[in-house]
Amino acid sequence: MAKNLLLTVEDVSKTYDGFKAISDLTFYLFEGELRTVIGPNGAGKSTFFDLISGRAQPDRGKIMFGLEDDLTTMNEYEINRLGIGRKFQTPSVYGEHTVWDNLVLSLKGPRGVFSSLFRRLTSTDRDRIDEVLELIRLSGKRHWKAGQLAHGEKQWLEIGMLLAQEPKLLLVDEPAAGMTDEETHRTGELLLSLAGKHSLIVVEHDMTFVRQIARDGNVTVLHQGTVLCEGKFDAVQSNPKVREVYLGRGKSGR
Amino acid sequence: MISRTKLGLPFILGAGVLLALVLPLLNAHGVVSDFTLNLWGKYLCYALLAISVDLLWGYTGLLSLGQALFFSLGGYMIGMHLMLMIGDLGVYAQAGKNPHGLPDFMIFLGHTFLPSFWRPFYSFAFSVFMVLALPGLLASIFGYLAFRSRIKGVYFSILTQALTYGAALMFFRNDLLMGGNNGFTDFKRILGHPILSTETQRGLFVATAVALTFVVLGCRWLSGTKFGLVQRAIRDGENRVLFSGYASAHYKLFVFVLSSVIAAIGGALYVPQVGIINPSEMTPDKSLEAVVWVAVGGRGTLIGPVIGAVSVNALKSWATRAFPDLWLIIIGVLFIVVVLFLPGGIVSIPGRLAAFWSRFRKPEPEEQALPETASRNASADPVSRTS
Amino acid sequence: MAGSDAEKIRLIQSLALEPDADTPRLLDAWREDALYVFQGSAGHPIPVQLTGEKDERDAQVAVVVETGKALNDAHGAPLRLVGSDLTAVEHDAKLRRTMKEVLDTLELAAPDPKKRVDAVQAIGFAQNFEKLPALQVRFSRETNPEVRRAMEEAIALIQLKAPDDVVKLQALGELRGLHTLASFDFVRAALREAEAAKKTAVAKAAAVALSAIEQHKSAVNFFGTIFRGLSLGSILLVVALGLAITFGLMKVINMAHGEMVAVGAYTTYLVQNLFGGGVALSPLGFSLSIPGLQATGWRYDAYFIVALPLSFLSAAVVGIALERTVIRFLYRRPLESLLATWGVSLVLQQAFRLIFGANNVQVYSPAFLSGNWTVNDILFGWNRVFVIGFAGAVVFGTWLILTRTPLGLLIRAVMQNRSMASCMGVRTERVNMLTFGLGSGLAGLAGAFLSQIGNVGPSLGQSYIVDCFMTVVVGGVGNLAGTVISAFGIGLADQSLQQILLNPVLGKILVLVCIILFLQWRPAGIFVTRSRNLDE
Repeated sequence: MAKNLLLTVEDVSKTYDGFKAISDLTFYLFEGELRTVIGPNGAGKSTFFDLISGRAQPDRGKIMFGLEDDLTTMNEYEINRLGIGRKFQTPSVYGEHTVWDNLVLSLKGPRGVFSSLFRRLTSTDRDRIDEVLELIRLSGKRHWKAGQLAHGEKQWLEIGMLLAQEPKLLLVDEPAAGMTDEETHRTGELLLSLAGKHSLIVVEHDMTFVRQIARDGNVTVLHQGTVLCEGKFDAVQSNPKVREVYLGRGKSGR
Repeated sequence: MISRTKLGLPFILGAGVLLALVLPLLNAHGVVSDFTLNLWGKYLCYALLAISVDLLWGYTGLLSLGQALFFSLGGYMIGMHLMLMIGDLGVYAQAGKNPHGLPDFMIFLGHTFLPSFWRPFYSFAFSVFMVLALPGLLASIFGYLAFRSRIKGVYFSILTQALTYGAALMFFRNDLLMGGNNGFTDFKRILGHPILSTETQRGLFVATAVALTFVVLGCRWLSGTKFGLVQRAIRDGENRVLFSGYASAHYKLFVFVLSSVIAAIGGALYVPQVGIINPSEMTPDKSLEAVVWVAVGGRGTLIGPVIGAVSVNALKSWATRAFPDLWLIIIGVLFIVVVLFLPGGIVSIPGRLAAFWSRFRKPEPEEQALPETASRNASADPVSRTS
Repeated sequence: MAGSDAEKIRLIQSLALEPDADTPRLLDAWREDALYVFQGSAGHPIPVQLTGEKDERDAQVAVVVETGKALNDAHGAPLRLVGSDLTAVEHDAKLRRTMKEVLDTLELAAPDPKKRVDAVQAIGFAQNFEKLPALQVRFSRETNPEVRRAMEEAIALIQLKAPDDVVKLQALGELRGLHTLASFDFVRAALREAEAAKKTAVAKAAAVALSAIEQHKSAVNFFGTIFRGLSLGSILLVVALGLAITFGLMKVINMAHGEMVAVGAYTTYLVQNLFGGGVALSPLGFSLSIPGLQATGWRYDAYFIVALPLSFLSAAVVGIALERTVIRFLYRRPLESLLATWGVSLVLQQAFRLIFGANNVQVYSPAFLSGNWTVNDILFGWNRVFVIGFAGAVVFGTWLILTRTPLGLLIRAVMQNRSMASCMGVRTERVNMLTFGLGSGLAGLAGAFLSQIGNVGPSLGQSYIVDCFMTVVVGGVGNLAGTVISAFGIGLADQSLQQILLNPVLGKILVLVCIILFLQWRPAGIFVTRSRNLDE
């Protein structure tokens, strides 16, 4: 079955105060794909997500979602409503809200002012939230304030919030940060189980974790705001350019 | 802590009935003096203003310094009607020098005909409509511009302060035909009743108490809806709200307009009870004063602003008489102390005392209940958090 | 002093041709009924003038007009006379007019060039044809270029009244070249007259002259507006600069910033009084009086030089105290800092009222700040020129401190990343304190300077605070260059809108509206400092 192109990023550049965060980046993602993005600090991974999710606009270049939606002209909430969810690097949950309320806010559904005033939670909604709570293992803490959760639990909650939105594309920024090895592994399993139904782009540093989640999909290496190479994990790992970037920076004498 | 926003329905209704019925009854039987009742009427109007501040600041994180403007605009709209209702009882009319029924200040400025924008204010219904419409419209336009360009935090405060300042400058001018420096005063009648009579004032008090009760009930309902969730989410992390697909600007605009209308209702009830409205009511300082009430009472709660407005103003009434020179210093210091040491306001005192008491009785501190949380937070890996 | 009216007139006129120093005094005295006739002992009348202070019976010293010496009685002691006992020397309307004319002509020869200019202008505006010869005679002798210019104008103005059209045309040509603002009304009158009389040539020349004057007038207005805009911008700049540091760099909304300005202004007031007659204050019922130095002249004027550093220091001390007691608890809570400092502002305002009184106090400008220059009809007040220069110096000084000193380096390090700087051993607490002190001190300097422009009162700061917050917001928070540009931008916009709308309040409101619209276009101000943090 030929897969459809979900995300098209072509010749995109973004400059912050003279610093080229992204330059001439081209990137394609197909439906159902799980893509892992790695790269050293300052490679432009976060900016890349910012551009897709509408937090920043590119100076030039094309970013399309599916075949019709031009993401460069939309703002954050419009992009989110298309079905692009983002999990941030530092866990960002609503600390003063309960775990339950965090999920209520994220649940797929209308987002307008008036529906928020008059629409009540249906039993389907409740079931869906319970389901997510079960998945992220926070059922017992549903009435806790999110701010009281441990770092790893916040990460899980944010992933849960992402799931509750049922997005087509998930942008996941360093999901394993602050988790124990066991939790990390479980996160990897969860992400793998989502692939197929959803498309995912995962940015990660932890190579063990990358090895785990990239067992089927491709890995993209970003360096200085552009794609250094792309391919299977083993191929990427043995690529001399990648080794140079990750290990050889000291040797080149800069 | 969980139920801070869930004030019991019976409590609100009980307090509303107490205010709206018991005080006026006591007044009718001479137990509560007219002066006291009038004073409390004023406090309740201020409570409405305080709720409008709290709805924005306490619940949505928007510190608006323009609420005094909306309060005064409401007052001005009803004031225009009251000015026209003076009719033949005005000073110039009594002297036979006012054939066209103009407000006295216009005659004084040398006008002979009523400006056309004043004419509809002969109708009480139209005036009430304008009480809601004009502040609502102004808030919509300003809010649309401000929220569209994502002005928030202190910038929003500074801009609303400037808006208020600009409006006050405008109302100080005589050629706006809104009474200039002196504003509107010397009202005689409202809905055909003599405005200064005990019965009228009692009626106005009941109206204020009822309005306040409804507003508190409405806010309670609002905070229980998903709108309330989004509102508080905007306060705690507006960017995250955008990435959850909510157009936070629309929500903020709605709250801003709603609270401006609440403030305007307070102002409209205030003017007939106090008998005067002038531009000094719409200075940024008046807005800040209302913020003080909310901070003292407890922001982000339903009852906090009411308690704050009443208690600070009661303190003011007493202190301006007892220590006229030191009153501003008292309120200034009070404010500094509350911001620094009691961010939760008066409402948080019982909770604090209870916590203190339980700690006093049980030597083990409460934190021990969550040892897991503390240790895991400490082990959170900060190295990989920057990229 | 006797004789017929005609003779008197002729006599008075003759005085004009041979002026002596006493003539104006004498004529003035005469016109104002201060010249009396005293029947001396010998029986003949002596004209006397009563001068000096009146004593308890309203008597004054009598001075003999001819000798200029006091009139003595038989024993040689000065005689004191009462005005109402004596006969005033008579004069009628005709005589008074002649005297006035003579006095005017006399002024033409006054030693002070400024007086000469005034006299010339008075004659010119009167357009009295009879004065023309005297004026022309004087013109040929005059050497001062300013007076000559005034004379040219006056002669031309008088010639506008000439019956001969040729002379009129010549005068109009002259006026066109001079294009003085004062001649505008006269030329317009001449234009109407010529139009009424259907003298096309004259009318045309008058119209040309008029447009030249109008052009000049708009140029003067234009440059005057720019100058006033620059000086207003400078005031905003100096007040806003301190705010740009506390608000922009430290993210603290100091609502008491205006009161820091007032602290500086009151310090200037105190220093001035200490140089002069001393100061008496009664705060809270205690009375406190400090004797002054009783300095006069330039020594007194020097108070301002002393007041500048002192106003900086006093405001900096108050600022540091504020930082230590209140603000340091609120670094991560900007909205709360706004509220707490508003409380501080209330307390300080009331403190000013209790110490210095609720009314404004007057601060006198030293002589070197109270004059003005007129260049090409544009008025340059020295205080405003000083303000502009001073603003430049303060901006330069602040820039030096922030970029070229160790303190500046520390300030920038702490403001960019508080925890990082702290990890690297920077004593952030101290840096915060000094930064806030610097910002407040700058406000104090601004206060010293506002005292030279307006009155000093308890709510002095309040009138500037809104504008200054706007200046900082428009400039882009944390950016000195942006603050400079926005201060001048707002100053110029304010003055030009006032000039165009002829209405200061409407102009101010329009500026506010413009700022709000500007922020639609650039929400983060002229210069944007980007942050990659989600929570900012």
